[in-house]
Amino acid sequence: MTSTLIYLCGGVTLWVVGLHALLVQRHALRRIMAVNVMGSGVFMVMVALASRDAAVDPVLQALVVTGLVVAASATAFALRLATADPLDKNEPERK
Amino acid sequence: MITAWTTLLPPAIILSSLLPGLVIFSLREDQVKLRIGLNLFAVILKLCLVGVMLWGVNQGLEFRFAIGFLPGGGLVLQGGATSLQFVTLSSVLWLATTIYAIGYLEDSPLRSRFFGYFSLCVSATVGLALAGNLVTFLLFYELLTLATFPLVVHRGTQKALRAGRVYLAYTLGGGALLLMGIALLHSITGSPEFQAGGYLGPLLDAHRPSLILAFALMISGLGVKAALIPLHGWLPQAMVAPAPVSALLHAVAVVKAGAFGIVRVVYDVYGVEQVQALGLAMPLLALAAATILYGSFKALQQQELKKRLAYSTISQVSYITLGVALMGPIAAVGALAHLVHQGLMKVTLFYCAGNFAETLGIHRINEMNGVGKRMPLTMTAFTLSALGMIGVPPTAGFISKWYLGLGALEVGQDWVLLVLVLSGLLNAAYFLPLIYRGWFAEPPTQWPEEHALGNGRPGLGETHWMLLAPVLFTATLALLAGVLAGSELSPLAWSQLIINRRFGL
Amino acid sequence: MSAALLSLLIPLISALVLLLLRVRVGGLVILANATSLGCAALALYQVVINGTQQLNLGGWETPLGIRFELGPLTALLLVFTALIHLLVAIYAQRSRHSQTRDTDFWPLSCLLHASLGALWLSRDLFNWYVTLELLGLVAVAMVILSGPRSHVPALRYLLLSLAASLCYLLGVALLYGQYGVLDIRALAGVTSNDQVTRLALLLLTLGLMVKAALWPLHQWLPAAHAAAPTAVSALLSALVVKGPLFILWMLWDNVAPAELARQAGIFFAVAGIAALVSGGLAALRTPWIKVLVAYSTVAQLGYALLALGLLLYWQDANMSIALWLFVIAHGLAKVSMFLAAGEMQATLGSRHVSALKGASQTMPVAMFAFAVAGGSLIGLPPSGGFVAKWVLLQPLFLEPARWPWALGVLLGTLASAGYVFRVVTIAFDRADPNPPDYDSDVSAQWLAMLPALIVWAMALMSEPLIEWFREVGL
Repeated sequence: MTSTLIYLCGGVTLWVVGLHALLVQRHALRRIMAVNVMGSGVFMVMVALASRDAAVDPVLQALVVTGLVVAASATAFALRLATADPLDKNEPERK
Repeated sequence: MITAWTTLLPPAIILSSLLPGLVIFSLREDQVKLRIGLNLFAVILKLCLVGVMLWGVNQGLEFRFAIGFLPGGGLVLQGGATSLQFVTLSSVLWLATTIYAIGYLEDSPLRSRFFGYFSLCVSATVGLALAGNLVTFLLFYELLTLATFPLVVHRGTQKALRAGRVYLAYTLGGGALLLMGIALLHSITGSPEFQAGGYLGPLLDAHRPSLILAFALMISGLGVKAALIPLHGWLPQAMVAPAPVSALLHAVAVVKAGAFGIVRVVYDVYGVEQVQALGLAMPLLALAAATILYGSFKALQQQELKKRLAYSTISQVSYITLGVALMGPIAAVGALAHLVHQGLMKVTLFYCAGNFAETLGIHRINEMNGVGKRMPLTMTAFTLSALGMIGVPPTAGFISKWYLGLGALEVGQDWVLLVLVLSGLLNAAYFLPLIYRGWFAEPPTQWPEEHALGNGRPGLGETHWMLLAPVLFTATLALLAGVLAGSELSPLAWSQLIINRRFGL
Repeated sequence: MSAALLSLLIPLISALVLLLLRVRVGGLVILANATSLGCAALALYQVVINGTQQLNLGGWETPLGIRFELGPLTALLLVFTALIHLLVAIYAQRSRHSQTRDTDFWPLSCLLHASLGALWLSRDLFNWYVTLELLGLVAVAMVILSGPRSHVPALRYLLLSLAASLCYLLGVALLYGQYGVLDIRALAGVTSNDQVTRLALLLLTLGLMVKAALWPLHQWLPAAHAAAPTAVSALLSALVVKGPLFILWMLWDNVAPAELARQAGIFFAVAGIAALVSGGLAALRTPWIKVLVAYSTVAQLGYALLALGLLLYWQDANMSIALWLFVIAHGLAKVSMFLAAGEMQATLGSRHVSALKGASQTMPVAMFAFAVAGGSLIGLPPSGGFVAKWVLLQPLFLEPARWPWALGVLLGTLASAGYVFRVVTIAFDRADPNPPDYDSDVSAQWLAMLPALIVWAMALMSEPLIEWFREVGL
């Protein structure tokens, strides 16, 4: 049970760190990374919960897989959107 | 077949001005003949339908139209005696005002829009008069606000827009308060149809605080339109609208709607005994009396003709509220009769003010010197109506004041007589100088802004015939209402009939 | 059930067809929306006759399988969604000023339609997560159709939406960890008022409130809805923010334990009144037309919050009816308002409110549509908005202790009247009205008027609808 607890706390910590970064950081790329960190946190929580009993819970695993797919596509979209705007003041100098 | 037409007649009366109004919106500015034709067609159609309803009620037929709307409160239109008095007044005065407006706005821009909203305004007024329960009344009350706003801001100037904003702030606020009151009542009893003697009697003991709050909310909401102090602030500002609008709004539609609403709430929703039992009669009476005196005092201070008439309206409409608040049958007769009489007299006064402004450019009191020599017919009408306002016998105004005074004595509120006398004196103080100036002062060598309307000579050509005819028409009606008050057909007799039925006399 | 499924599959298939063939054909989408509307109407009819229906996709039982439920409200919302999409699609195709005619608006709006359909039908927390993500991504994609100017608000919307989803997902994980089920019906019986449940519900609520732009988490909405093209703004305000609201309502009404719900109810109700007042004030002060309409959405969602809050606080089912009547009336009125505002903005050539001077002469139909829609938002009789407000007010008068809430509704009414008539009064200003840059498109203005007329006509249908809801339960 303790390892579950460690992973749970780890996941929640990641989530909080990600949220904090999202709210505080101004740079678009960093905010996208922050959201990804939040996502990783949630997935870690779910994986930890999935492995609580001897038999791994398939529902949570399905949730994690779906979440990963959504996170990947959303990140791609966000990246495209963040780098497409020439007027964005937070953009680093393009080389 | 018989049942079908009695059901359809009330909505038909509303539609008779609504549908032509909607068509008028789509007309181009230059389609003058078509627009005038539609207007007059609508007016005459409405008058015919109202006449049919009058005949029907005389024969003992019942007119009722109902469709579902809210749970516990449908949309109900009915043609009873009280409704018909207001409907007839509105329709007759609409005829006069339409002709007046056609003449007044000749060559003005945006007439299609004006007459479109004009027709909507009258539809809302008759709908309100024909309403059979509080929910229907509220519906047409709010529609009236919406229809009159574009008329108030018609000129489109900054002054007009400012007046429009003030008007909206007051009337929408009042509408919201009225809604709250009606919703409160609805949550207790649903919205049954108006009943002579009220339908809240059985609930008095169980729901005292709610009923008192509902009454306060509804009277505040209605008091905005009825220009009870301190809710009257919109009325003098709304004078910026063209004269036909002032005439219609202040004599017929908006102010009367508020007063009519108060009549309905006190007699047909609460009932006289219930209002007295809740201790609400005295506050209402005091408010009405205060408004009467306040309006008269403020009128004295005004130097602009229309503003003086506006404050006079504030004062005079509160006579109706006063009569209602006295809670006795004789006062009630006075109140209902005054509803008609004041309408006729005030609309005449506003027509006259409009004529003076349009023909000679007179806006202020001190420009009125000697106008009687130049425009004798208009000035005569003005004089007759002003005398009626003061309450000189045998004018209509005297008749209604007499009944109010008797009504005050009947219920033992003798101090109200003082208010009536004082108000009469104040009325004299601000109307007699006008009459004196008009007839006996020396006319100026040149009028402020003379326009070539009519043939320029005193008499039947003193101004455009469309501006003159309505004045003479309504002045004559006001005169007849007073002189023939004893006859069966007068507004007084009608009011007596309504009150007899209501009080079971 | 198959009619309901069709009503969501038809837009989905059209979207895929359009994407595969790489064409941008508005006509196909209009046809698809019309068919979908027909199917949704059929589904509604079936629910009226037969009652609520269930479907387990693939025959798999929950929790692994997905359960769809077609109840009265869901059926009505399917019709509502299809109708709004149809009206907006016709406008986007017909209006001369439409920025979205030759863009990817078409497949995206179909995807939006399908996602919403799936959301209304789902009844478990994870399926809702998927539909929420779909909704959010498609919404952002539609916002950026208006060009680079919208990238900044769109990115902000996207990031906040993603963060909100992850907040929601964490809440879902916690709930699952505690109870082992995700289906609403299953959860309804087993939840108890402990720490984990409270935390989970808090996370879920925060995530949903951000997505539904409920005060005080609404800051992203005005910029995003104003920057989007007209047709998109209409869809966003009318539909997209209502999806998360549905989930929030379902969650609190069914899953949350009673004591917790009562406490949360107060918070929601107060937030609702704050939304009404602050949204109304912001709408009064902003100089931009579309931002005004967007703040109006924030304010009107306050009515929904108030209804939700009082529903939870007093456990009064009438409040649910009021809530959904508000949603439907608001959706129709907001579509009309955005379409009219968009037409006026494009024709008069400026995005400022002051540019609307004299619009009652230059663009009477559009201004009238705006005013009629505004009338429903204010709650003037006999509109749909009035009926919703009436149903909300009735329980507020039952005892004197409840009367202060009515004051909140009064404030909301006055605030809405303030900003609607701000625009209408300027429109009547006749001094130098702004001449239109070119001929205004009158038929597009009539299209803008149509939803406003529908929301007023809705009032005539209100009594049977309310009675049906009361009988059958939402």
